[in-house]
Amino acid sequence: MTYSRIASILTTVIAIGLAFAAVAGILTAMRLDTYRAFGVILAVFITPRLLLQAILRGLPIVLATLGLAIAFRMNFWNIGAEGQIYWGMIAATGVVLAHVYYGYLPDLLVLPTMLIASFIAGGVWCLIPAILKAKLNVNEILTTLMMNYIAAYFVDYLIYGPWRDPHGYGFPLSIPFPKYAKLTFVAENPSYTGLILSIILAAMVYIIFRFTKLGFELRVIGENLDAARYAGITIPRVLMLGSFLSGGLAGLGGLSIVSGIIGRLRPRASPGYGYTAIIVAWLAALNPWLIIPAGIFFGGLLVAGESLQATLKIPNAAVQILQGIIFLFIILGEFLKRYKISFGGGRGVR
Amino acid sequence: MSSHEYLVEMRGIVKRFPGVLANDHVNFGLKRGEVHALLGENGAGKTTLMNILYGLYRADEGEIYIRGKRVKIRSPKDAIKLGIGMVHQNFRLIPTHTVVENIVLGLKEVGFVLNHKKLEQEIRELASSYGWSIDPSAKVWQLSAGEKQQVELLKALYRRAEILILDEPTSVLTPQETKALFNAIRRMAEEGKGVIFITHKLDEVMQVSDRVTVMRKGRVVVTKNTSDTNPAELANYMVGRPVIFTLQRKPMLPGKEVLRLKDVYAMSDKGVLALKGINLRIRKNEILGIAGVAGNGQIELAEVITGLRKVIKGKILINDVDATNKSPREIMELGVAYIPPENLRWGLVANLRVVDNLFLKAYRYPPYSNRVMINWRKIYDMADELIKKFEIVTPSKFTRTRALSGGNLQRLVLARELSGIIGGGVPDLIVAAYPTKGLDVAATEFVRKTLLRYREMGSGILLISEDLEEILMLSDRIGVIFDGRIVGEFKAEEADIERIGLLMAGAKVEAA
Repeated sequence: MTYSRIASILTTVIAIGLAFAAVAGILTAMRLDTYRAFGVILAVFITPRLLLQAILRGLPIVLATLGLAIAFRMNFWNIGAEGQIYWGMIAATGVVLAHVYYGYLPDLLVLPTMLIASFIAGGVWCLIPAILKAKLNVNEILTTLMMNYIAAYFVDYLIYGPWRDPHGYGFPLSIPFPKYAKLTFVAENPSYTGLILSIILAAMVYIIFRFTKLGFELRVIGENLDAARYAGITIPRVLMLGSFLSGGLAGLGGLSIVSGIIGRLRPRASPGYGYTAIIVAWLAALNPWLIIPAGIFFGGLLVAGESLQATLKIPNAAVQILQGIIFLFIILGEFLKRYKISFGGGRGVR
Repeated sequence: MSSHEYLVEMRGIVKRFPGVLANDHVNFGLKRGEVHALLGENGAGKTTLMNILYGLYRADEGEIYIRGKRVKIRSPKDAIKLGIGMVHQNFRLIPTHTVVENIVLGLKEVGFVLNHKKLEQEIRELASSYGWSIDPSAKVWQLSAGEKQQVELLKALYRRAEILILDEPTSVLTPQETKALFNAIRRMAEEGKGVIFITHKLDEVMQVSDRVTVMRKGRVVVTKNTSDTNPAELANYMVGRPVIFTLQRKPMLPGKEVLRLKDVYAMSDKGVLALKGINLRIRKNEILGIAGVAGNGQIELAEVITGLRKVIKGKILINDVDATNKSPREIMELGVAYIPPENLRWGLVANLRVVDNLFLKAYRYPPYSNRVMINWRKIYDMADELIKKFEIVTPSKFTRTRALSGGNLQRLVLARELSGIIGGGVPDLIVAAYPTKGLDVAATEFVRKTLLRYREMGSGILLISEDLEEILMLSDRIGVIFDGRIVGEFKAEEADIERIGLLMAGAKVEAA
């Protein structure tokens, strides 16, 4: 392992450690039992039952992050994973509703159709800002972010409107998904299916990065746009293809929410998985294999947040603070990796 | 001020950077009233040494004496107080301010409100004492490169600098401007100032300096009176082996036309017209050299031909095929190789491996890939061959490209562009933009020899360079570019440096 590789891992570990220390400080200030709180968090990762839950909650994060890795690799700052997740949910739910009400598909083909539909829906949602960037040079950070709201409110419209369960006593919920539309392929617990899906998709992203022309082009574009132009790479084509894949994976993340975690569609079904994915992408340094444990780690934090709330009456927001602080320290670490701080009058830094 | 003979004495200076010993126990002395040339290849440690003297770096070991007194120079501010002035390779001026404002910027003595009239008068007088006729109220962006350099010098002189450091000052100048600069430098020496002149050009050392110090790999090889040495000896010191100066350019009959530009117009990045009706043609086995001061449309010319810049009017034919506004890739596939300026910015991806950059273009063609997948095995095998053939010095093909030296980066570019991995065979047209800029002597020689070899193998070559000597050495024909137009064309045998220089500076000269 090279020096920089070790330094990189070390800073990440230190960043997480410092984040926990900061949270300990906050908890202490709130006069809460820090030791017990950390005990609850640790328990999530060593209790099999809770770990499986962490894997499930991490699933949408992992899938969305795999997508972000593709976009970030070419310096396309897709912060619209959240919206792409919502479109994945919409497409998946749409397939289920179409099948339930007008179905002519064999039940066995419903889930595969949902996978394809949610991939395409998420992909197209990310393709729009990519086209705007390629053709009109519109900043993708703004478009992807804004389109998140459109997607989330569109789900609201569907659930409060045409997609509301007619037998749901007026609650804003879709009909519950039938069994064949849920991630219970391999075992009763959808976590196993999710884990296998994550591994397959991570492998695909790895292969794209390492062995395909597209992966090479993504990298060149991300590292040096001028050189990419010079090398004759068709930048708009790569930009659009990469974004489609990026959004598509996030779309699958959306599917994993409705058919894995919730089992139906409801408003605000994502508590910000798409934003958490941005943190995870940095934490895993865009490495598809590291994305799986990093995503599960954050999934575990969500689970921990709920049990903290239940057992210690610690507000769920504390966990969100932890997430935010971890991200902050990672960014700081990135900064420190790049620059050398010199104290006093020390000069001579090149 | 004391009349100590030595203005500057640096003793046993050591400076380490991670992985390199940039200065290894260097001794250097500057006498009153002398022009002292500091000669060496890139990376020899000349600029490091001077940056230490100017307070930009601090030496790890060693002592500095100014006028016989031991000093510690912690920052440029200290250096300026000691009467040291430095003119950097890239000017550090504020383009939207006037000459006067740039010169007095940071000076406490002039006070808060500027007395423009008085200052202008002072600066005009100072300038004219060195034979310069610069307008003190002009804005800096309106000035030519030569004039900007004068402003930099005036800035130092106005602060009463006695010790002047000039870092490769002629690289942006026309031959006439260079002559004027040398006159001014001699004048400063006559006034009892000391001038340190950093360069890697031997003829300049011979022309302007009293003494010369040669550095190689962080050490001083020799210090001599200029009158006791000659260019061949200096080159020997500099490179550590005898250097062949004149490359043999075999007489060749040019073949069929590979490039023709008909009345080509194009914009610069700033949206102003950069090419204003360029006409030129290049045939096989022929080198057309484009001489000119940087910024007169050279880069735009190279980019228009290689498809990186839009032609707004006119026509480009490559191998008799209309290539106007074709994509870079289509043009590449017509047999055009491009050696870009500033390769790390335009032509290489610093964070990728050497092998990735070797195949930055060829990766997309069989046998190196199929429709989707890259065949790394094939690429790795071929990369080893290219590294050997083009003498690229790298720890391995997997090394990050940024770790390579300038010379090896350029060898990498040559290997990629010329080796035939794209499309196979010798390129029909090579566009080489500043191919030896910033390279050391050995790499420069390699690049020039390579270009001549490809000329013999049948390539037509467009050579853009600021180095007039290089253009004269390599070209069959020479075109002079000024303000987006080709203002003169010469056969190599009939070229006249005086006239080319005048044309480069924009003078109207009757065509012969």
